[in-house]
Amino acid sequence: MRWNKSAARRRRFLLALGVICLAGVLGFGQSPATQNPAPAPTSPTPASGERPALIVIDPAHGGSDPGALLTPDSAEKEITLAVARRLRQELSARGIASQLVRDGDATFSLDQRAAVANSAYPALYLAIHASSLGSGLRVFTAMLPVAGKSRGPFLNWDTAQAPFMERSKTAQAQIVAAVQKTGFPVRALIAPLRPLNNLKVPAIAIEISPANGETSQVAATGYQQMICAALANAIASMVPSLSSRTEIQP
Amino acid sequence: MSSRPFLLLLSCLFVLTIAMSLYVWQLRSHADAVAPTLAAPQAVAPPGAGPAKRVTLCVAYDNPGVLRSNSVSLPLSSERQRRAAELLRALLNTYSAKDSPHPLPNTAEVRNVYFVDPGLVVIDVNAALADGQTSGVLAEELTVTSLVQTLTANLEGIQRVKILVDGKERSTLTGHADVSGAYDVSQVSALAKQLSSQ
Repeated sequence: MRWNKSAARRRRFLLALGVICLAGVLGFGQSPATQNPAPAPTSPTPASGERPALIVIDPAHGGSDPGALLTPDSAEKEITLAVARRLRQELSARGIASQLVRDGDATFSLDQRAAVANSAYPALYLAIHASSLGSGLRVFTAMLPVAGKSRGPFLNWDTAQAPFMERSKTAQAQIVAAVQKTGFPVRALIAPLRPLNNLKVPAIAIEISPANGETSQVAATGYQQMICAALANAIASMVPSLSSRTEIQP
Repeated sequence: MSSRPFLLLLSCLFVLTIAMSLYVWQLRSHADAVAPTLAAPQAVAPPGAGPAKRVTLCVAYDNPGVLRSNSVSLPLSSERQRRAAELLRALLNTYSAKDSPHPLPNTAEVRNVYFVDPGLVVIDVNAALADGQTSGVLAEELTVTSLVQTLTANLEGIQRVKILVDGKERSTLTGHADVSGAYDVSQVSALAKQLSSQ
């Protein structure tokens, strides 16, 4: 009887231990990205036929990472989100589907941002930054780091962008040309800026800075609207050349 | 197995776990106590004692966000590693001056420069440089390019450059420029070319 009691107690103990381990594994396995799932595209995917070109917009920083403090009461993370939402609206008005990596003040690591963008197979990834330095708009493509090469179908994480650099540069040139037509100051540069190098889709980043030297201008609604309209027009003119689904190029 | 030895074993494991936790906690407290001593500012190397030489400093200009080559005369030591550190310190003096074209705090400094074969140079800057500079993609890439180009313009055989902050790896300089890996000098040259033209 006593043996039975202790055996039953041991069984209960082992069962509890197993449950705790399982809960731990499941808890650790769940990444913050899955806890804060990215919002769905603004335009639904058609049930059949060719998928429309999807643009993934990534408002840089967010949550515990405020980015640069541009004015005493506005951090970079707030400006990038405001610009991203405006751009989504402008694209939607032109019939272009878009998805924000974050649509709130959530913390996303650079790897999580890349994972969200890569799994959406967008025609273009566009990261948004804001700065007090310089004048106008900068459009960046990746500056790939010194890293190992891809092996077979497995892309090296640090240089995953390499096969897509040509298409990223084409997108950069098209956006710069389209924005230049509006008379707005714009520059094309490369940048050691993650997660651009981790993306297996055409990827660019933009940095918005004031045109008049006043940092508060980047937080102004009218200024953001003007930039977003110019960007949306540039993207709309590129849509025919953007593939609906990006595949890994051999 | 009866319940008594089992409970005894469990108790021993529990005691061992507590003991190990206390030991790790003690080690951590000790490491925290030592860390500030290591991070304390170190003595800056004396100015170069060698003959004055004509060198090129690649200087960043925040307005309008360009990189320009300035030729200056500097006393430089003959030893390569010290010469590299002296070049970068001269560059930082430009940035911490009153009418700086690319302001950095006057506490910003290059702690050391290491030559690691083959062709890899490690620049160890202090946290004041990284944290005190303007945050932004262009601002940070101007700093990185300026440091790397100043070295490669005056010293031969450099293929890659790695930047450390207070002797440790960082993911970004001030939230944007990726400094987790080594920079390919040819890519930085391409960027410098773009930054030289408005």
